Amino acid sequence: MPPALLITSLVHSIQVGSLYALMALGITLTMRVIRLPNFAHAEFVTTGAFTALVVSLFLSRSPVVILGLATLSGALVALSSHLLVFRPMSRRKLSTYSMLLVSFAVGLILRYVLFVLSDYYQLFDKRIQIPLQILVRESYLVLTNITFTIVPVSIACVIALALLLGRTALGREMRALASNPELAHILGMRVERIRSLTWLLTGATAGLAGALWGLYTFVNPLLGWLAILPVFAAAILGGLSSFAGTILGAYLVAFCENTLMQALNHYTGLTFSFKAAIPFVIIILVLLLRPQGLTGFVRRSGDLER
Amino acid sequence: MLQIRDLTRSFGGLRAVDGVSFDVGDGQVTGLIGPNGSGKSTLLNLIAGQLHPDTGSIHFGGQDITRSSPDAINRLGLARGYQDPALFFQMSVLDNTLLPAREQLGESPWHAPWHARWRGQEQHNAARADTLLERLQLRDLFDRRASDLSGGQMKLLDIGRSLSGEPSMLLLDEPTAGVAPKLAREIFQHIATLNREAALSFLIVEHRLDILFDFVDQVIVLHMGKVLAAGKPDDIVKDVRVREVYFGL
Amino acid sequence: MNIDLGATLVALMTFFGIAALMALSLNLEYGIAGVPNFGQAVFVSIGAYTTAITYTRLLPLLAGKEVIWPCGPTLGPALQLRSEIMRSYPGAGFLNLAITLVIAALVSGLVGYFVSRIALRLQQEWFLALVLLVGGETVRIFVRSYEPVICANNGVSGVAQPFAWLGNPQLSSILFMLLVLSVAALTWVYCERLVRSPFGRLLKALRENAAVTRSLGKDVALARARVMLIGSVIAAIAGVFFVLNTGYISSNDFVVTLTLDIWVMVVLGGLGNNRGALLGALVITILDRLTAIATIQMNMSAIDLEFNYVRYILYGIILLLMLRYRPQGILPEPARTTNAHDLLTDPAPHVADS
Ligand SMILES: Nc1ncnc2c1ncn2[C@@H]1O[C@H](COP(=O)(O)OP(=O)(O)O)[C@@H](O)[C@H]1O
Ligand SMILES: [Mg+2]
Repeated sequence: MPPALLITSLVHSIQVGSLYALMALGITLTMRVIRLPNFAHAEFVTTGAFTALVVSLFLSRSPVVILGLATLSGALVALSSHLLVFRPMSRRKLSTYSMLLVSFAVGLILRYVLFVLSDYYQLFDKRIQIPLQILVRESYLVLTNITFTIVPVSIACVIALALLLGRTALGREMRALASNPELAHILGMRVERIRSLTWLLTGATAGLAGALWGLYTFVNPLLGWLAILPVFAAAILGGLSSFAGTILGAYLVAFCENTLMQALNHYTGLTFSFKAAIPFVIIILVLLLRPQGLTGFVRRSGDLER
Repeated sequence: MLQIRDLTRSFGGLRAVDGVSFDVGDGQVTGLIGPNGSGKSTLLNLIAGQLHPDTGSIHFGGQDITRSSPDAINRLGLARGYQDPALFFQMSVLDNTLLPAREQLGESPWHAPWHARWRGQEQHNAARADTLLERLQLRDLFDRRASDLSGGQMKLLDIGRSLSGEPSMLLLDEPTAGVAPKLAREIFQHIATLNREAALSFLIVEHRLDILFDFVDQVIVLHMGKVLAAGKPDDIVKDVRVREVYFGL
Repeated sequence: MNIDLGATLVALMTFFGIAALMALSLNLEYGIAGVPNFGQAVFVSIGAYTTAITYTRLLPLLAGKEVIWPCGPTLGPALQLRSEIMRSYPGAGFLNLAITLVIAALVSGLVGYFVSRIALRLQQEWFLALVLLVGGETVRIFVRSYEPVICANNGVSGVAQPFAWLGNPQLSSILFMLLVLSVAALTWVYCERLVRSPFGRLLKALRENAAVTRSLGKDVALARARVMLIGSVIAAIAGVFFVLNTGYISSNDFVVTLTLDIWVMVVLGGLGNNRGALLGALVITILDRLTAIATIQMNMSAIDLEFNYVRYILYGIILLLMLRYRPQGILPEPARTTNAHDLLTDPAPHVADS
């Protein structure tokens, strides 16, 4: 493969991988603490992207303001979904499938409300207005300030999240709740508060990821939905539990989608329209062959069915 | 009938069942006792094929069933009941009882739409279920949802359902837990009747030793996954080690 | 605005018949047996893609003509040939439809059966939902990228319904409606019989507690695979009628939202109840038409609203309201689950619980 293609695709892999990591951590967190495979996460992301777009169009072009408000919007949408929908629903003790359906429904409503709004205010396929500076210009590779925003911000955020979970009292409580909800109740932990904070946190990372993703591409109501399955692939590679595994998984998925795809195209002539199928194939293979993902312990096969 | 040899199963570092061996003879009623957490339920799960052992072997009716699947084991005639009644709570008492019946052509979707093909069988099975329910005093409740039953009735239905597959041996996990003393004794009288009339063998986990000891041929005492003692009820009561760990004397 | 009431009704009932097939299929799989098929769109699409292949490759042969490659530069002539045959060779059209239905049912049934067999390896209960969802998207991407199936992004058009040769659009659409409705009615009777048979009892047991069902001697994996087979066959038949009704086959119709449509029908009507599935299909079909008409009206009065936006917001709200306030659906599953109860001849009068 020509080095130019290789380098460009690797740069893409790193950018996309950082964003996937940020989104996948949110999925993993909701999965572990709330015990919900949350498909509405996609629309928390999209909300962040639209907030960033609207802020940049009408309010401010400062990256700090844009990203800050996007983060806030994601957190608020997530918290309100929790308070208005997920919490009352979980009190009804619905089955996992019903809760999955609930998360689909929340996502569906948010997505199409965003469609209606962006139709009404003509926001389709607009770009977030941030002054563009070209920092590296080679014949085959152009790097702008956007790359140098996306990657460090996501990585910093991922590290902050990991520290929060590993080193703070809140993190300890979240982990305790994740591993044993009954015990957490008995120990007198304020379970409801921890749950709400978890939603705030996942929403915030989703909102931020959305704004960054929007910087990288166009903003449209399908932005989150189109990213969510690759993100699930990343989370599943992390065994839906391990943070390190999830981050590794995110970069791996992005690498397969970009560099591997590029190589396949170069050597076998596989067209790029197959690119979207790569994360799906990853999900299916991992779930079937190695459900513990990149990390985790091996379960004994043939044991009690759940 | 049932031979267990050197059975071991660990969860992580914990040896829940540790080198257990014993036999249950044809038509025998065996009691399995031991403190909480001594591995009784795990042992039943291993025998019923719902867990697989790390080492050791299980033979039933001369066949090696160590690695068999739960459905295959059940079809060989080894049925089990559950400690917490695991009924089909949304289904009627009658449907619960009919489900395990052996001869059911209508369980295949190819025959199922043609009522005439399986109606005779269903009638026969329903008549048998009728007798079974009558015996367990559940006859009048046959079209209630299982979730509407009282705790004791659920226990009875759990046993009745296991019997409906016409097993030759039954594993029961605390059949009288949470049941009034009078009903508990009745349950054991049912067991004794079945044992006498249908030559059914039993392996029963039970905490009510006063009742259990009146009905069993042999008792196995488990302690921390190991067989602490085995023998006739009278000998077990006298065993010093058993008195120590079990009765706290 | 002029609405031709008769034509609207015929269109509505045709849609309803197709929706009913899809809802009956999901109700059997999830409502009765508890298998969460979040990939319904794939099985419907298998019917659609089979139709694309038979109408482009088999139909000309049946009419004694030469096959024209349906994509690329010969797309036009191939389309013309199809329309020509459907207009003047009714026999070939019917035979082709029959063969299409058989092939679609076979392929879809086998896929359903084997997916279910493979799914046994999955460890968490919602993994199957995810695998089916993602599997569906994979199939769609493949079809969209691999030309021979439906000419990739172009799709296959001119797939006329089997009565098109009558030359009287009204009459042929009524006949097509009757065909769809009778297939749906037969399927309903079939599902109803399944549910009331020992097979239905087994499926309901499976739904409630698979491990216990297994320990009672039942081959749980086989039962699951069988119900997936039957459900997939029904979904594929729905898929064939779906594309015959629209006359056009495109991969864009078989996305996750189609699966969600079907879920909305079943959740609304009542999980585990075939009548509920039919009711759900009817309500959603009517709602669908009404939203379509209402948005057209609104658009004329200068409120520009895309029909799909409103529809999906509505579906989301319906799902949430139902799951929150009436998870058993409008028509809940009856307590008397099988016919067996009529066999105990003298049901004793109910005595009070002890
Ligand atoms: N699935 C499991 N995973 C981990 N530990 C288990 C599991 N099942 C049982 N155990 C442990 O094995 C030991 C024996 O349990 P059990 O067989 O249920 O005891 P008993 O029925 O005699 O009260 C207990 O310490 C229990 O915590
Ligand atoms: Mg126990």
